[in-house]
Amino acid sequence: MRKLLDSVLNPVRRASDAGSAQFAQWFMQSRHRFTITGLSRSGKSMLFTSLMTILKYRSEEQYQCLPLLRYLPMDLVENMWVEPLGELPEFPVDAHMAALERGDWPPATEAVAGFQLTVRLRQTHQLKKYLLPFTDIVFEFIDYPGEWLTDLPMLEKTYTQWSDSAWAQQMNEPQNRFAKDWHQLVSEFDFEQPPTPDAIAMLVAKYRDYLLTAKAEGISMLQPGSFLIPGSGFDWQEFGFTPLPSRISSDLSSPWTQRFNHHFEIFQKQWLAALKQSTFRETDKQIILVDLFEGLNHSKSHLYQLRETLSNLAQTFVYGDPGWVQRHLLRQQKIAKVAFVATKSDLIPAAQKDYLLALLKDVTRGATAQLDKDNIQFEHFLVSAIQATDAGSSEQSLRYVNGEGRYIEATFEPLPDSLKAMPADEHYPALPAGVPKDYLARMLNGNGLDRLFQYLLED
Amino acid sequence: MSTTEKPYRSKVTQMEIDAQPPDHAMPAKREAELVIVDDPASGLSAKWLALLSGIGCVLGFSLFEALNFIEMNFAASPISTSLLAVLLGVFVVSLGSLTLGEVRGYRKVSQFIHRRPKLAELASNDSTQAALDALKLHASQFSRHSYAEQCYKRFTGLVKADHTSAEIVEMYRQFVAEPVKTKASEVVKKESMASGSMAFISPNHLIQSLMILWISMRTIKRVAKVYGLRPATAGNWKLMKILAQNLAAQSIFDLATDEMTNQLSGSLAAKLMENSAEAVAAGALNIRLGKTLMRLLEEEK
Repeated sequence: MRKLLDSVLNPVRRASDAGSAQFAQWFMQSRHRFTITGLSRSGKSMLFTSLMTILKYRSEEQYQCLPLLRYLPMDLVENMWVEPLGELPEFPVDAHMAALERGDWPPATEAVAGFQLTVRLRQTHQLKKYLLPFTDIVFEFIDYPGEWLTDLPMLEKTYTQWSDSAWAQQMNEPQNRFAKDWHQLVSEFDFEQPPTPDAIAMLVAKYRDYLLTAKAEGISMLQPGSFLIPGSGFDWQEFGFTPLPSRISSDLSSPWTQRFNHHFEIFQKQWLAALKQSTFRETDKQIILVDLFEGLNHSKSHLYQLRETLSNLAQTFVYGDPGWVQRHLLRQQKIAKVAFVATKSDLIPAAQKDYLLALLKDVTRGATAQLDKDNIQFEHFLVSAIQATDAGSSEQSLRYVNGEGRYIEATFEPLPDSLKAMPADEHYPALPAGVPKDYLARMLNGNGLDRLFQYLLED
Repeated sequence: MSTTEKPYRSKVTQMEIDAQPPDHAMPAKREAELVIVDDPASGLSAKWLALLSGIGCVLGFSLFEALNFIEMNFAASPISTSLLAVLLGVFVVSLGSLTLGEVRGYRKVSQFIHRRPKLAELASNDSTQAALDALKLHASQFSRHSYAEQCYKRFTGLVKADHTSAEIVEMYRQFVAEPVKTKASEVVKKESMASGSMAFISPNHLIQSLMILWISMRTIKRVAKVYGLRPATAGNWKLMKILAQNLAAQSIFDLATDEMTNQLSGSLAAKLMENSAEAVAAGALNIRLGKTLMRLLEEEK
C-alpha cells in the first residue's frame, strides 16, 4: 500500500519541488552571468581572488568594503556562499591566498576554473517580505587562461583566412621584430617536400618559439594561444599547424595547405567549439580587462596592437539587449552591458588616473565602435584589485616595495591621454611591485570594484 | 610583466628611499547598531542653579520681609543683608547664563538649518575637495557622540582619493543622511506610540494636553539629538510653531470627539471610542510633528 502511495505521490512531490524551485528561480533570484574577458596577464585571477575575499569579509565580518556598491547594501545582506559552477573545477582561492601569504602573486591561470557566488538579501518591502522573504543575487564567474581568449576569433574563419591575417599581423610593428627567425625559416623552407610528421613538428616548433618570444615581449595577439600552455587538451603536437605564406595557403592543391586545413578544422571542432560552449557560455554582462601597463612598458606600437586585439575580440561575442521574456522564459542570453576595465591602476599616481582613463578609452576605440553599432551600453573603469602602492612625496610620484623588499619611490612624467600623444621613442617601465605584507588590508582597500559592479548590476 | 632592454627613454624615474611603507588599516567595521550616546551630566546645570537660586531668593526675600528690621536697619545687620545680596547675585548671573545659552542655542539651530548642504549641487561640483569641505562644515555642527556624528565618522573612513563629487555625495546620502533619517523615523514612531498611549489613558483633557505637550517636547528633543543638534537648544521658533499647530489641531479633535460622545450618550463604549480616537489622533499628530522637524533638519532641496 505504502509502495503504491509512494509511486503515486513521488512524481507529484517531484513536480511540486521542481515547481517551487522554478518559482524561486523566477521570482526570488536575480541571476547575473558575468564573462570576465581578459588577455593573458591582465589580472583576472587576482581580480577574482580579491572579489571573493572582499565579499566574504564584507558579508561575514561586516567590514565596510565596496561603499559604492548600493545594489548589495550591507544592511540587507543576510548570507553569502560560494558553490561550484557546473562541472568546472573550483576556483583555487585558498591556493591564491596562500601564495599571497608567502609573498608571491597568484600564478598565471593555465586551466579553466569557475565558481558561483550567491548573496542573499533580506526583503524590506512590507508586503513582499511575507511572500518573497529574500532575494538571491547569483553571480557566475569563470576564470580561464587569457591565451585561449585570443583563439576565439579563429572559430569564424577558414584556415586560409586565418593564415593570411596571421601573416599580415606578423609583418606589422612590433611583431615583425620578434618574427625574424620564423620568417627566415619559412622563406628557406621547401614546401615541395611532403608534409611528414617530422617536417610539420619542426615548423610548428619554430612558430611556437616565435609566439613564446612575442608573448614575453608583451604581444597580446598570439594565435593559436592554446599552443602555448598546457591544459587546453588539444594535442597540438599531433595536429599542429602554422600560418603559411599566401603563395602556399592560397593554393588549395598544396599538400601543406590541405594538411594544415585539416588540422585547423580539428582544432576548431574539437577544441574551440567546445571551449566556447563550456567556458565562454552565454552571458549578459561582460567585463573586458585591459592591462595598459603591458603596452606602456613596451612601446607605442604595442598599444596599437592591443587596440587591434580588442577590436578583433569584440567581434567574437554576441551583443544585444534581450527583454525579460527572452531572458527568463526563452533563456536567451546576449551581452547587454560591457565594462572596459584597466587593471592595476594603483601602479600610477592618483593625479594621473584621468590620463589613464582617457588612454583606456582610446585603446578600446575599435571595440566600442562595434558596441555603438549594436547600441550596447558600455563604460570605462579603473580598478586595482589590491592597493599595492602608497602615495609618494609629490602628486606625480608613488612608492612601492619591490620583489627584493626595497622601498622605491617612482616619479612619473605625465601619461599620454591617447595613442597619438605617446612618443614613439619613450616608455613607462612597469613597476615590479611585490606583494605587501599587509596584503589583506590592501585588498579590502582596493579601488574601483564597487563602482564597476554597481554599474553592471543596476538596471 | 617583462621589462626588457629597449632603446626607449624611460618616463619614470625611480630611487630607493630610506623609509618604511605604511601599514594599511583594515576598513572600518560596520557596527551592528550605532547608538545615541548621552553626554555625561557634569555638575549642576544652569537650569537647576537658576531654579534653586530663585527658590533661594523667594525664601531669602521672605526671610528678609520677616526680618524687616534688617532692612530697616541695614547698618545694624550687614552680614544678613550681604548674604541676601550674594544670593540674589547668583540668581541673576545664572539666569543670565541660561539666557545666553538659549540665545546661542537659537543661533545654532538657525545656523544648522541655513547651513544644510545642498547635496544635488555638491554632486555636480567638479571639485571633490569643495564637496568634502561643504560636508565637513555641516558636520562640524554635529554634537559630540551624536548619531549623526558617528555616521559621519564612518563616512569619512570610506572616502578615497579617486572618488568623484557625485560618488562622495552618494556615499554621504547612503552612510549619513539615510541612516540618520531612518533612525529619526524610528524615534518619531516610538514617540507617537507613547503619545497615543498617553492620550488613551489620560482621565481628562487637561492631563491629556499636558501629556501631549510633554511628549511633543520630548520628540523634538530626541529627533534633534539624532540629527546632531544639542537637544537643549532646539527651542527654535519654527519648532515651537509646529508644536503649537500640533496642540491646536489636537484641541479641535477634542471638540469633535466630545460632540460625538454627546451624541452617543455617555456609555463606556463611547468613552472607549473617544479615547481610542484621541489616541490615534495624538499619535498621528506626533508623527506630523516629527516629520516636519525632520524635513527642517535634512538636506536642503
